[in-house]
Amino acid sequence: MKKNIATISPGFEDIMPEEYQDLVNDGPYGRGLGIKNLGTFKELIEEHPLCAGCGLALAIRLTAASLPAPEDTIIVGTTGCNSILMPQLAIHNIHSLFGNQSSLAAGLKRALKLRYPDKNKDVVVMAGDGGIADIGLSPTLHTWLRRENLTTIMLDNESYSNTGGQESGMSCEGAVLNMAPTGKKFPKIPMPEIAKDSGCAYVATVSVANARRLGRMVKRAILVAREIGPTYLQIFVPCPTNYKFSTSETLKRAKEREKIMEYISSEAEKLIKEANI
Amino acid sequence: MLISVKNEKCTGCRLCILACPEPNVICFNPKKKIVNIDPDGCKVCRLCIETCPEEAIESTDVAI
Ligand SMILES: Cc1ncc(C[n+]2csc(CCOP(=O)(O)OP(=O)(O)O)c2C)c(N)n1
Ligand code: SF4
Ligand code: SF4
Ligand code: SF4
Ligand SMILES: [Mg+2]
Repeated sequence: MKKNIATISPGFEDIMPEEYQDLVNDGPYGRGLGIKNLGTFKELIEEHPLCAGCGLALAIRLTAASLPAPEDTIIVGTTGCNSILMPQLAIHNIHSLFGNQSSLAAGLKRALKLRYPDKNKDVVVMAGDGGIADIGLSPTLHTWLRRENLTTIMLDNESYSNTGGQESGMSCEGAVLNMAPTGKKFPKIPMPEIAKDSGCAYVATVSVANARRLGRMVKRAILVAREIGPTYLQIFVPCPTNYKFSTSETLKRAKEREKIMEYISSEAEKLIKEANI
Repeated sequence: MLISVKNEKCTGCRLCILACPEPNVICFNPKKKIVNIDPDGCKVCRLCIETCPEEAIESTDVAI
């Protein structure tokens, strides 16, 4: 499947909304576009109701623009701020029960391999820090330990943002939030190290302030998951609403605390070199 | 509040496009080599203003 993921039935050309026509005529399907082309094509998110200055919203926007094959990608999300944007995304996506995203994605990926043995179907888990590192930790770990061909992308805003600011396992030690007034008592869960030790062939961390690098990491993570095994990308996405800073500071804060890390297994290294990404 | 580009100052570097959390709001005009902001989708977060190295984006008070 290429561009025909979005087409207009004959006779309906005039009455389809302008936004949909733009997607058909100027969308990125099958065109191999990326971050560097943003601003010159119709993006896959129409609009979204997330807060002004939301780092998570920008990360999803950049990720959507970096998918190597958006027309053959299925994103599995779960409850959290991400799930409020997903219905506006012109990429196949599934909302799973909170924490169940990796189990669902693993089954889906296996079914797609059977149904379309000659085609690539990229299954990407994209969820919050609470969804991945807390309630969904066990399913996440098991897809890694079982070497499932999945990409897991964590949108790490270091809190349960959608429910008003509880601490998550990914909040920093001492973090104070609306519903964690006494400060967090233990450090951030070392998810990248856990991912590496559990069998991920590619593990990377970046912040939303580093768009081009983020784009390259998304491409690498998806390609390695396609050909080799599980991959993990952790994106730091500051949340102005729950951490109570000005919307204009999101990227400054992301940059200040950004940790760039890339672990690439030797097999993955070879593949990335061959693909030149 | 209206966020807009001062055309004469914009170099078309496109950094602001990578800073805006809203899709399809800052667009690049390849002929003029500058960007344009669609006020309908803008949430006035000011991330583009903070990002622009040329101080080419301004905010103006407008009566609603
Ligand atoms: C089974 C279940 N438990 C709890 C909730 C309530 N809940 C909704 S979103 C959320 C937190 C989400 O946090 P995170 O995954 O970090 O996403 P964010 O909103 O921060 O992006 C919680 C606890 C739920 N919807 N379902
Ligand atoms: S609460 Fe935070 S993460 Fe959620 S939409 Fe608002 S700014 Fe984004
Ligand atoms: S103010 Fe925010 S929403 Fe408006 S164009 Fe700039 S970055 Fe985008
Ligand atoms: S960042 Fe400034 S100079 Fe660069 S394209 Fe945007 S408005 Fe123009
Ligand atoms: Mg969160």
